[in-house]
Amino acid sequence: MPIVVEKLTYTYQAGSVNAFTALKDVSFTVNDGEFVGIIGHTGCGKSTLIQQLNGLMLPSSGRVTVDGFDMNDKKQRAKGRALVGMVFQYPDYQLFDETVYKDISFGPRNMKLPEEEIARRISEAMRLVGLDEKEFSDKSPFELSGGEKRRTALAGIVAMYPKYLVLDEPMAGLDPSGRKAVIEMIEGFRKTLGCAVVMVSHSMDDIARSADKVIVLRDGTIYKSGTPAEIFSEAEELNEMGLEPPFAARVASRLRKQGVPLPGGIYTNEALADALSGIKGGSADA
Amino acid sequence: MLSLKNVSFSYESGSDAVKNVSLEIGDGEFIAIVGHNGSGKSTLAKLLNGLLLPTSGTVTVNGMDTSDDDRILDIRRHVGMVFQNPDNQIVTTVVREDVAFGPENLGIPTDEIVTRVDSALKAVGMEKYAESAPHMLSGGQKQRIAIAGMLAMEPEILVLDEATAMLDPIGRKEIIGIVRKLNEEKGITVIMITQYMEEAIGCERVIVINDGSIVMDDTPLAVFKRGDELRSIGLDVPAAVELREMLKTRGIADCGDAMTIEELTDKLCLSLLKN
Repeated sequence: MPIVVEKLTYTYQAGSVNAFTALKDVSFTVNDGEFVGIIGHTGCGKSTLIQQLNGLMLPSSGRVTVDGFDMNDKKQRAKGRALVGMVFQYPDYQLFDETVYKDISFGPRNMKLPEEEIARRISEAMRLVGLDEKEFSDKSPFELSGGEKRRTALAGIVAMYPKYLVLDEPMAGLDPSGRKAVIEMIEGFRKTLGCAVVMVSHSMDDIARSADKVIVLRDGTIYKSGTPAEIFSEAEELNEMGLEPPFAARVASRLRKQGVPLPGGIYTNEALADALSGIKGGSADA
Repeated sequence: MLSLKNVSFSYESGSDAVKNVSLEIGDGEFIAIVGHNGSGKSTLAKLLNGLLLPTSGTVTVNGMDTSDDDRILDIRRHVGMVFQNPDNQIVTTVVREDVAFGPENLGIPTDEIVTRVDSALKAVGMEKYAESAPHMLSGGQKQRIAIAGMLAMEPEILVLDEATAMLDPIGRKEIIGIVRKLNEEKGITVIMITQYMEEAIGCERVIVINDGSIVMDDTPLAVFKRGDELRSIGLDVPAAVELREMLKTRGIADCGDAMTIEELTDKLCLSLLKN
């Protein structure tokens, strides 16, 4: 069963002179196990949208259902919310407990799971995020590096076994190896837990590599949605919207302008290299 | 001129975050300092204007020692710092007042402050927002205000400690464009601490920090030829360099030293035409 967003509209300070409609008539579906990337310029409504997915914000009109639970309904909301794990921007600032172990256990403990199940899940979550249980369990979160804090925060969410994992810029502020590690971790969560992922990111290269479906938000509406190939082949269109297309797509677009006969749909280095080697082989034969 | 001699620093809790670093930064240089999370680069930044004092060794700014209490205010006026989180650096409710905060604390006469604030806002392209409320601005605009606040103190050196990390790609480019202009037109020394390799491309000099020590100090061209070493310490090369390496390995094209997308596509076209 999916998350279904139907004709969602959200207005901040509705009815006042400062009323601002951040989302207009947004509809989409997150299917089981799917990886959905949400992209858009700063201020396009991305963060407002994802907070609707677990009922932290409620629609002004329209409806969000999570596995059939209507988030507009107070009783159903709690059941829907339990399926959605939210990781906000800079989750490392939200660590609060004395030790890494206690911090990670906070969510599972609130779910009133038996103690041995909590322990088992914490071991698994720490393994999935690459934190050695012996070394880190008793450390204070404040002793950790930026990357380790991010791992701890992710482990706390993962230990709740969310069916849907919603992440807002999970790689922000990390160094290149940290960014790569987080993307690989998210892939690992999907494989091990089978969860669907909804990820907001400015890094088009990361979205291009991982997403099954990409949603482009513009001024609070869905401007376009489709596979990465459909979305990222049009480098100019994304540029106009103030988004930076994947590097390979930008290179391909420049080369086409300079007269190199490249096919469409190129947005990864591998695909670009393949296409270039085809052109090179072709001209050598001629 | 900024000079570090055998500088080490350790936090109370343990091992050295900066280990025996010696470094000279000349007037008007444009430098990037790169390193992974926890490499010691932010600690190094805070040593540059006496926010932290070395455990051993000396840091001098134009000959003034940062551990000399009598000179510390003077040093901070010479070395302006812009930090990562734009929201933590804004202190008032009107842009103009925020930019004036620094010079007011220096006891500069009011009419001089007005001139400085106007010119600082103009330098970062924010003159239209002088009367705006800072919390209504985007992250990139807030960082420009933070930079203007530093400029109003007329520093000789500007240190950006991951000042673009919380911005979107457009905001990042805005900030880099502005500091480059300040470096070229006003001769301000710029030291950018960053995790984005792309931002180091346009610098004259890249300093790579690992485990509290300087492991490379060279031009971007030379540094980014050492991709494997960079990756082994948690860093990376710019996207154009990565693609260039791949095309070369696969025998598709030799794009020479290309570091930017423009250089890469130009070289690629030449190489394809040859065949």
